[in-house]
Amino acid sequence: MKTATREQTGTTIVDVTGDIDMGTSPGLRKTLLESLKKTPRLVVNLREVRYVDSSGIASLVEVLKEARNTKKRLVLFGLNKAVHEVLELTRLTKVFEIRETEEDALRA
Amino acid sequence: MSCDKGSDPERVATPPARGPLKFRVRMASDPRLLPVVRSAVSELAGVCGFEDGQCRSITLAVDEALSNVIRHAYKNRCDQEIELNCQAKSDCLEFTFVECSEAADPSRFCSQPLDGSALGGRGTHLIRQIMDEVCYERLPEGNRLSLKKYLPGGKAKPDRK
Repeated sequence: MKTATREQTGTTIVDVTGDIDMGTSPGLRKTLLESLKKTPRLVVNLREVRYVDSSGIASLVEVLKEARNTKKRLVLFGLNKAVHEVLELTRLTKVFEIRETEEDALRA
Repeated sequence: MSCDKGSDPERVATPPARGPLKFRVRMASDPRLLPVVRSAVSELAGVCGFEDGQCRSITLAVDEALSNVIRHAYKNRCDQEIELNCQAKSDCLEFTFVECSEAADPSRFCSQPLDGSALGGRGTHLIRQIMDEVCYERLPEGNRLSLKKYLPGGKAKPDRK
């Protein structure tokens, strides 16, 4: 799994590529939490994420909790079928802010 | 004198006998191997006739079970051994995980009600949601977890009471 971070109009966008599983989710968690410290709004691009398991979901939940605690926003976009299905199975589709495209996520 | 060897006997192609569809993996408890297993499981599920969404969920369940073994049974040690058996039976696809840790807490395999804010516990929940049968057994030298998914058109998951 790889991440790349970019800035756009007061928003930090983290582009994630690959599989988020037990081996890679700690790294993602660390990257997202560090990015969240420096921005009022964190947008996570999951377009290139092929697979996510419960450890990946747990990492996203932890970042979401931190965002709420610090009155910041976390938006996810670009979820494919596989990622959507895991969020549905874990009943988290209504917990996260989810958008289809980057443009929608930046406008959110 | 010439020797006529005659023509070769006619060879009729016979398809190889179809044995049970199965494979066994003995793997290190290293998370870097999870993608390798996921690929194999996903392919096997497809060969057994599951459609794409089911292949994905079966793969997720197996991945979650392996992750649980690594995390809880082996306390994140990467140098332990896990034996994974995958077999397509007449009515189901069965995955068996054997590990050599201390006796597991059976409540670990009971899915907890999902709490949106909880950071843990989702893996077991996913396994039980996806698979039709989940069985845990203590062995003399470790533990065995079996997961079964009925083949398409097979028997339905028993209703939970």
